Amino acid sequence: MSPLHNLPEETLILLLKKKNQQAFSYLYDNYSEALYGVVCRIVTSAEHAEEVIQDVFVKVWKHVDLFDAEKGRLYTWMINIARNTALDYRKSKAVLNEQKNQPLSNIVNSKEELDQTQIEQNVKADFIGFRNILDKLRPEWRILIEMAYYEGYTQQEIAEQLDVPLGTVKTRTRAAFLQLQQLLKEYR
Amino acid sequence: MDIKAYISSGIIESYVLGLASEEEVSILNCIRKNNVEVEQAIAEAEKTLEDLADIQAMTMPASLKQDIWNRLNAENLVAPDGSSEGQENGLDNNTERLVSNAQGNKTLHLKSYRWAIAASVLLVLSVGVNVLFYRQTNEVKDQLTQTNLSFDQQQANLAILQDKWRLVQNPAIKTIPLKGVENKPNLQALVFWDQVSKTVYLSLEQMPTAPKGKQYQLWAMVDGKPVNAGVFPLDAKTDGASKMLDIPKAQAFAITLEDEGGKDVPTLSELCVMGGI
Repeated sequence: MSPLHNLPEETLILLLKKKNQQAFSYLYDNYSEALYGVVCRIVTSAEHAEEVIQDVFVKVWKHVDLFDAEKGRLYTWMINIARNTALDYRKSKAVLNEQKNQPLSNIVNSKEELDQTQIEQNVKADFIGFRNILDKLRPEWRILIEMAYYEGYTQQEIAEQLDVPLGTVKTRTRAAFLQLQQLLKEYR
Repeated sequence: MDIKAYISSGIIESYVLGLASEEEVSILNCIRKNNVEVEQAIAEAEKTLEDLADIQAMTMPASLKQDIWNRLNAENLVAPDGSSEGQENGLDNNTERLVSNAQGNKTLHLKSYRWAIAASVLLVLSVGVNVLFYRQTNEVKDQLTQTNLSFDQQQANLAILQDKWRLVQNPAIKTIPLKGVENKPNLQALVFWDQVSKTVYLSLEQMPTAPKGKQYQLWAMVDGKPVNAGVFPLDAKTDGASKMLDIPKAQAFAITLEDEGGKDVPTLSELCVMGGI
């Protein structure tokens, strides 16, 4: 289940630049499930998620030459592509219209409601472990991660919505990261 | 800047979440280059999201792999290397081979790097050798110039000797050696006297160059009286034979050092050499 990541990133980059089937197989076998997990957390229906993950692979494949190792790791870069592609998809009109008929349309007004509906929509075994990890975060920290990471709110928007100063949003986000880091270590 | 305060402001997490403003990102990119702590904090935050993604990984529908591969092919995004059959069975081997290929590339890069170093060293050596050759060439040029110069001098000397030799060889010429007087025993000169034409040539064999304002003057002793035979030209080569005044008759020749231009009567105290016939 857990991705292998047994190639050093620089080797993987070289491999991807070959653009052949072996490169694709390696990429897919080692990263697709993690990227799919990110997509599923953002795009709430399995059908849409499958569409999005395909776009994610096409983008990674197409743009690997643009990847700049100076500015970060390949895995992080791919996660960001997955996340942004999914967020864009979610923002796109078609999806918004569809979501209007669902309780999800209220996400802006009710965070807790959103969390509940998302849990219901993503009833998958793998999801449980992930939920548990985030649930272990302090609630006022967890919501920041969810709003920022999975829903694409700016920190300014989060500050307004939660009615806390922007600086507090930032320092709490950091606190959330630190706690998450600790939890992930324990999980391993 | 207080790096600790900067890190704890949460800016790095904002950045990693893709929420930092353009301005914040450019500041951060500037700081991370020069600050290991910031670079480290960024790496940790990224790793946190990577670990999170690992844990949240979800099984994908099995058909997707082939679907995506077909789509990449359809969009012409695949290298044309013929490996079109997606055989799962050989994947491990393939992967291994690819890894070694990829590492091969790495070595290749390393090799290129080594070659680059070698090439640089060679370049430096080459430049050094060129400089050395250039210097040597210049030295050789200088030497050649020197040699040419000395050759010219030898040629000139030879010409002078040949002139004298011709005089000596000429049966009509009488060679009269003039020897240093008592207080100047080392001085020596030669008079070549053509008995037919009465022409007189003088060669200062071993005579110091005349001091400034002075000139050697040749005298013919004719019946006990000194007769002016001319001054030795100032511009003449000291060891060449210079034509003097014609002397039809003489018993001896003598040279005195006189003021420039010569005199009518020799200054006996300045007598240098003399020789009888």
